[in-house]
Amino acid sequence: MSETAPGANPYKIYWITWGILLVITVAMLAAETFHLPRLFLVLFLLLFMMVKAVMIGGNFMHLRFERKNLAFMVSSGILITSLILYAFITPESWHVKEASRTSAPETGAKPPEGVHVP
Amino acid sequence: MESGAHTATMEAGWGGGAAPFGASWQKTMMWIFIVTDALLFSGLLCGYAFLRQSGATPWPDRTHIFSMPFIALMTFILITSSATMGSAVTAARLGDRKKALLNVCITIVGGLFFLSCQAYEWGHLIHEGARLTGPLAGSELIEKGVNSQFTQAFFLLTGFHGSHVISGLVILIITAIRTSMGKTPAQGIEMAGLYWHFVDLVWVFIFTLFYLL
Repeated sequence: MSETAPGANPYKIYWITWGILLVITVAMLAAETFHLPRLFLVLFLLLFMMVKAVMIGGNFMHLRFERKNLAFMVSSGILITSLILYAFITPESWHVKEASRTSAPETGAKPPEGVHVP
Repeated sequence: MESGAHTATMEAGWGGGAAPFGASWQKTMMWIFIVTDALLFSGLLCGYAFLRQSGATPWPDRTHIFSMPFIALMTFILITSSATMGSAVTAARLGDRKKALLNVCITIVGGLFFLSCQAYEWGHLIHEGARLTGPLAGSELIEKGVNSQFTQAFFLLTGFHGSHVISGLVILIITAIRTSMGKTPAQGIEMAGLYWHFVDLVWVFIFTLFYLL
């Protein structure tokens, strides 16, 4: 059977994508075992995470083959909202961290058993 | 006459034609749903970032808590099930109903395996003393540096993802039954596939941001 029906992508696209995703996943796990500098490791993992996301969105979810405006609506909508949310949350988390540090008791007394003090 | 002019204005300004994204209304609606669902996970991941960044104590080392090869196996299962789901969509588009059904069934098996792995992981951690409110007093997890923020992030992130896997499986099972009866068009399999790939996509972020970083 030919793979030329409208809307039908060749089977090999999925299996090539599967292979690449597998290699990237193994590389990400292997990177954890090497004692790389923290910043380098974080950038490496985030970069490969985005590559995996683009491959799944593009090839598995067919965004590569859809109209550009659909792909733009989906990717920009999620990315921009997430970045705005993260940008607002980050300074607040630092503030909470600082506040909990300054309000911590200086007696060195241990909290009661089972009670967690962040 | 007035009504006709109104319709024409609406179509010119807001109608966008029959298919504004060059896709059927089913696909457009599915994408809108996926975007909103992605924003839910975006909020959860930002909440996780907040918990992690605001904690005064260091975040525990995941390799001391989870078996990373086991997490890798879960990832492998989900990626493979996505590939079989993609093959099901192609087979359905080509009119090969048997092959489409076979691939949907393999995807269901993959999803069940993934869910079993997640249930095992949850059971293991709960047995070790992890709770949504934090680790139990005196449990080994406290020695490993596990705090309440960690258990909250773990149960919420993986729990929400797991619930999506369950709903994805329900959709796939219904799709498989309807496909076997010849009632599901190719587009129905494609919509189910879109949702399943989304579940895989979310796992990519949870795997990297929670288990690896």
